[in-house]
Amino acid sequence: MANKLGEWIEERTGLSKLLKAALDEPVHGGAKWSYIFGSGLVFLFILQAVTGIIMTSYYSPSSTSAWGSVYYLQYKTSFGWFVRGIHHFGSSAMMILALVHMFQVFIFGAYKKPRELNWISGVFLLLLLAGFGLTGYLLPWDQKGYWATQVATNIMGTIPVIGKYIKILHQGGADYGNFTITRFYTLHVFLLPLSLVFFLFIHIALFRKHGVTPCWKMSKEVLKNRVDPFWPDQIFKDAVFAVGIYAALAGVVFWTGGAELEAPADPASNYLARPEWYFLFLFQLLKYCQGNFLIVGTVIVPALALAFLFVLPFIDRNPSLYPSKRAPFFGAVFSGLAGVIALTTLAIHHDSQDIHIIHQREEAEKQASRAVKLASKGIPPAGGMSIFLNDPVYLGEKIFKESCIGCHMVRGEGGENSPDFTNFGSREWVAGLLKNPKDKKYFGESGAMPPTKLPDESILDITEFLLSQSGNLLNINPERVERGKELALKGNCAICHPFGNKEMKKVAPNLTDYLSETWLKEFIRNPADPRFYGARNKMPAFDKLTDRELDAVVQYLFNLSKDRALVSEREEDGKKTYVFGLTSPRAIIDFKGKS
Amino acid sequence: MENSRRKFLKIASHALGGTLAAGVVAPLIGLTVHPLMKETVYGTEDFISIGRVDDFPVGVPTKTTITSSKMDAWNIFEGLVMGSVWVIRKEDNSLNVFSVNCPHLGCGINWGEDVRQFLCPCHEGVFDINGRKISGPAPRDLYSFETKIENNNVLIKFGSFT
Repeated sequence: MANKLGEWIEERTGLSKLLKAALDEPVHGGAKWSYIFGSGLVFLFILQAVTGIIMTSYYSPSSTSAWGSVYYLQYKTSFGWFVRGIHHFGSSAMMILALVHMFQVFIFGAYKKPRELNWISGVFLLLLLAGFGLTGYLLPWDQKGYWATQVATNIMGTIPVIGKYIKILHQGGADYGNFTITRFYTLHVFLLPLSLVFFLFIHIALFRKHGVTPCWKMSKEVLKNRVDPFWPDQIFKDAVFAVGIYAALAGVVFWTGGAELEAPADPASNYLARPEWYFLFLFQLLKYCQGNFLIVGTVIVPALALAFLFVLPFIDRNPSLYPSKRAPFFGAVFSGLAGVIALTTLAIHHDSQDIHIIHQREEAEKQASRAVKLASKGIPPAGGMSIFLNDPVYLGEKIFKESCIGCHMVRGEGGENSPDFTNFGSREWVAGLLKNPKDKKYFGESGAMPPTKLPDESILDITEFLLSQSGNLLNINPERVERGKELALKGNCAICHPFGNKEMKKVAPNLTDYLSETWLKEFIRNPADPRFYGARNKMPAFDKLTDRELDAVVQYLFNLSKDRALVSEREEDGKKTYVFGLTSPRAIIDFKGKS
Repeated sequence: MENSRRKFLKIASHALGGTLAAGVVAPLIGLTVHPLMKETVYGTEDFISIGRVDDFPVGVPTKTTITSSKMDAWNIFEGLVMGSVWVIRKEDNSLNVFSVNCPHLGCGINWGEDVRQFLCPCHEGVFDINGRKISGPAPRDLYSFETKIENNNVLIKFGSFT
């Protein structure tokens, strides 16, 4: 039956003949491991296509919904993080493999007559890959993609005469917005793939026409006499390589937890943009091309390099494949490669040393995880950024920056007259305070409390006890709390500080429920209360803050340390109750009406 | 020799290709069937507040709009009108809450104060004040919702009905 069906189809389509012709392609000189890169790229392209197609069924291309839809894919579906991770790292793998393929082709001299067009179609394919990377980076509409792509579109703008128009055409307007996403989306999922398939078709057809170019050491006899069939000799090698690529990709995705999703794009922020790693060399080059020379880095150098690649088969006309006879071209290509590697290394090295960038990365990571937590309660239709509008931490930070930062420093920013709030309320912060309250980081010379002269372990015990009273310390160690309690109550602390009774007054602040939500609120409202600093107080009272604002400031303070849980996080996630479409009377009636 | 080597390569290539295809396709299928595994559109409140007990006069059905929020994949829509219900407060302050949709074909039913009956304008369905079917093509009594009163607030379980 199956045979008959097969024959029927064969008679009408000639499919198996076609397949046989494709598979029986003779590989002159024998199947080789050095030929696997091209087919590896085809595999990766198929992988990118299928993962991309499935992801489009989750993606929503608009400035208000893009981030939310990617968030949903990443965090709310079972396999979304994996599929997106494969797609993300798959793009890097393609770029690496494309370069390896290109260099292999170059070294083997496979671009020489009659394969010039094969090489040129390959250069087009490389350009298309870069286009994929550039357009795909923006689609999640997160901070990283948004700001890095700004750089790219601004570079377009530096092209003389037409730059301005090209930029507007890509952005879909004078600034970023809905049309930027729809245009990049169209490029990424329709125009670039179609163009890639077109050039890939030419590339493979030409490869089939001219056959492989073996290593220059292979003698003419071997090339003529040794012929392996493409199937299964070469395909087996290709399959091993494809499995290897996929296993490596899956490994990277599991190891890294998938592709990053930063906080939603905030046009008002001052994010330091960095492009994807394969564009870093261009980015670094721009640093050396300032002012009027900007165009050298943005247009002239890349254009010259590209022009060189395009004309390479026409200027290297010596038919010999021996590298020693092609020394100038090897020199040119490999010095280009060395330049790219050097620039990339410089860019990475610079960023790893720059404290502002390190801080910003930490901040971005924190904001990203905050955004994910807030988004789990649902994103208002106004868009990704709106999750922050009702977020107490966000509001608290705003108030802190308006009212507190003049005296209190946070991560190197702010005044120096009052305790530094970097990591405020963490074990490390409190232990440091106990150890040396007169440190510049805490009260300085104005501090009245003497340093606690106890071994470090005991200081950590007291810290654990003090913070355990706040009700939101994470990973409490009960043994430490017990030991700390004993030390604090029976030792010197209790001479000056009251414990266990909120109303009691002594010379130093009452530490009952120290750094808890209520303690902080009462303190901020009136630090000069005799329960706190009394007459020694220097901090202004913030009694004009509304309840909501005060709550926000306290949440922000909690958020400064990793040891404390946020109050809002203790609430349950948005709970699901009933399901639309399954329980409404109308749906059931419709169903009954049809049956 | 050469033939058995090729035979092995063919089998091995098929095995590798099959494994690879399965490895690629499995997570894609897992992702595609997500809506079968997990609800994507749902209400966020179990019991929805529809007003205070005193808002409803005794013995007179009052049509009330239900406002709540809905999760639609990543979005939350707040203050959304979910529909309407008929609320009847009884002498003993207990409440009957009925769907406004007729159990026949879902038309909106009205309260006829003169006849003190619920009337469906589409096919002349008639129901009494307790939602029981009196006449017409409807297969059952009016759909009613579970209610509870907390601190004088009337809450209805909009998601399920009997």
